[in-house]
Amino acid sequence: MISLKNLGKIYSDDDTDTTALQDISFEIKKGEFVSVMGPSGSGKSTLLHILSFLDRPTSGSYTFSGKSINDLSDIELARIRNKEMGFVFQAFNLLSRASVYENVEMPLIYSVDLPAGERAELVRKAIEAVGLKEKTFVEAGRLSGGQKQRVAIARALVNDPNVIFADEPTGNLDSKSGAQIMEILDDLHNAGRTIILVTHETYTAEFADRRIQLKDGLVEVDEATKHDGNRKEFFK
Amino acid sequence: MKIKDSIQTATRGLNHAKLRSLLTMLGIVIGIASVILLMSIGSSAQSLILDQVKGIGSNLIFVVPGATKGSRFSSPASTQGIIIKTLVEGDVDALRREAVAAKVTAEVRGQAKAVYENNDATVTYEGITAEFFPMRNFSTVKGFSFTNNDVASFNHVAVLGQAIAETLFGDIDPVGKLFRLRDVQFRVIGVLEKKGLGPFGIDQDALVLIPITVARKQLLGIDYYNAITVQASDAYNIEFAKSRISDVLRQSHRITNPDKDDFTIRTQEDALSLLGNITSILKIFLTAIASISLIVGGIGIMNIMFVSVVERTREIGLRKAVGATNSDILQQFLWEAVILTFIGGLVGIFIGSLFTVLTYFAVTRFAGIDWVFSLPISAVLLAVAVSTVIGVVFGIYPAYRASRLNPTEALRYE
Repeated sequence: MISLKNLGKIYSDDDTDTTALQDISFEIKKGEFVSVMGPSGSGKSTLLHILSFLDRPTSGSYTFSGKSINDLSDIELARIRNKEMGFVFQAFNLLSRASVYENVEMPLIYSVDLPAGERAELVRKAIEAVGLKEKTFVEAGRLSGGQKQRVAIARALVNDPNVIFADEPTGNLDSKSGAQIMEILDDLHNAGRTIILVTHETYTAEFADRRIQLKDGLVEVDEATKHDGNRKEFFK
Repeated sequence: MKIKDSIQTATRGLNHAKLRSLLTMLGIVIGIASVILLMSIGSSAQSLILDQVKGIGSNLIFVVPGATKGSRFSSPASTQGIIIKTLVEGDVDALRREAVAAKVTAEVRGQAKAVYENNDATVTYEGITAEFFPMRNFSTVKGFSFTNNDVASFNHVAVLGQAIAETLFGDIDPVGKLFRLRDVQFRVIGVLEKKGLGPFGIDQDALVLIPITVARKQLLGIDYYNAITVQASDAYNIEFAKSRISDVLRQSHRITNPDKDDFTIRTQEDALSLLGNITSILKIFLTAIASISLIVGGIGIMNIMFVSVVERTREIGLRKAVGATNSDILQQFLWEAVILTFIGGLVGIFIGSLFTVLTYFAVTRFAGIDWVFSLPISAVLLAVAVSTVIGVVFGIYPAYRASRLNPTEALRYE
């Protein structure tokens, strides 16, 4: 469902060009759980932004569900992000003064073809899926870190997307909350969703089936995950 | 994104920052309230002034001696302290014979010391004929006004304004009492009703009215008039009456060239249109002052909107990530500005109206002026329209900036 061919990204300043991605090619099939790893500056953020239609490549091609990014307008990209992609960020990015309900509802108000009457049901289901039913009308700012990230996952799920992009989702959490979040992602994967996880922690990366390691804007390693016990240790 | 959702998103955004929203609104509230208050004061002042001119009488045509150079709004020489003796008894007689003139009165004016027992005051007295009273809507609350018999018989009788009656006589009923004016004795036969400040700032309650014959021969020793007032008959158009009067006066003054007129004729309409112009300028001036505070309020909104856009950079990035288009973001921030200014406008109208009512009570109660309560609907509509337009004008640039934010940078923003 995701296919990259010779993808490159160069940031152009007034007089300097910075190459973030040089020449990236891979495919991700529907239902895969892929981790993207690499040191800072390796290009993993840039790759995530392009994969999630927030940025455009400067060379090469990217097709998502058979549609090439180069053929789509900004508005079409926004529609696809809204319907087919879910986002989970390291810093949660919730509206802290808004209720859990309002936060989870947010993607739906940008879904032009969804009748307003169906929203409440979708929001309720998504909140229940992350186990926060009793917090539905609590201000998001009052929740613990782990609960906030669960709200963020509910928000990512509410429009029933094909792919979930998770950018260091456990980075701001203690290990117990982090474990809960990873379990939820694992469950989503088992339910058939494609998950792309950007992380620098090897033990969270082990939840994935496949590891793509970047270095200097190139794919250094692309292999099936070796389960060497780190994941078990993480759960202790 | 549907408009309903845009408005709801904007309302929630404002609601999540209540204090900031209220403070932003304050500038618009003050601006709109001052527009309402000042426009209302301007229009009240205008009707007060115009009502006073209308209250002098109806269909009045004033003739003063001396030509007027320049436009119809220039003042004739005789009002600038120059003595011109061209209006005489023959003119009054000739005008009385004219069909366009329903009533005619002549006036002479002087100042003198009035004395009653231990009280004295310097007063302006006017020598008039009996027609003056009905023509100028002057009626007495005590006693009577004098008749043309009194005028013809040189009777030493006087009708006093309320203020001067009180100064000279205090609590004593002045009717029937004798007082001296320039060492000539007069008997008070009537006291006028309270008239207040007349047009052109003359205090009508301080007037002493005496027969014109007495004033001319015995107090002033002159044989000309300071003014002639004609009340045109209802049957004739006022402009026609005016031109007839000019013809009569030219004939009796033997003037063939209208450029050499030695008199000036003014109608009430002239005065009304002059004062109407002046008070309209006053209104525009007041509105302009109030508009400055509106502009300041609008710039306040723009400032806060910019701060708000910067503060909510991550929110904007997030909204874009989950599918908001540039136009969705633009609409959200624009609605926030418009809702703020619209509500601010409504509150401002309420507060402005409240102050207008307070002004009405303060002016009528403490200053004793017959203030006309006026809250022009045009001011209210203007205020709503202006405040909403301010929302759009001052909100659009910050909203545009918000909509152009790059989502990847916005999401990284610390």
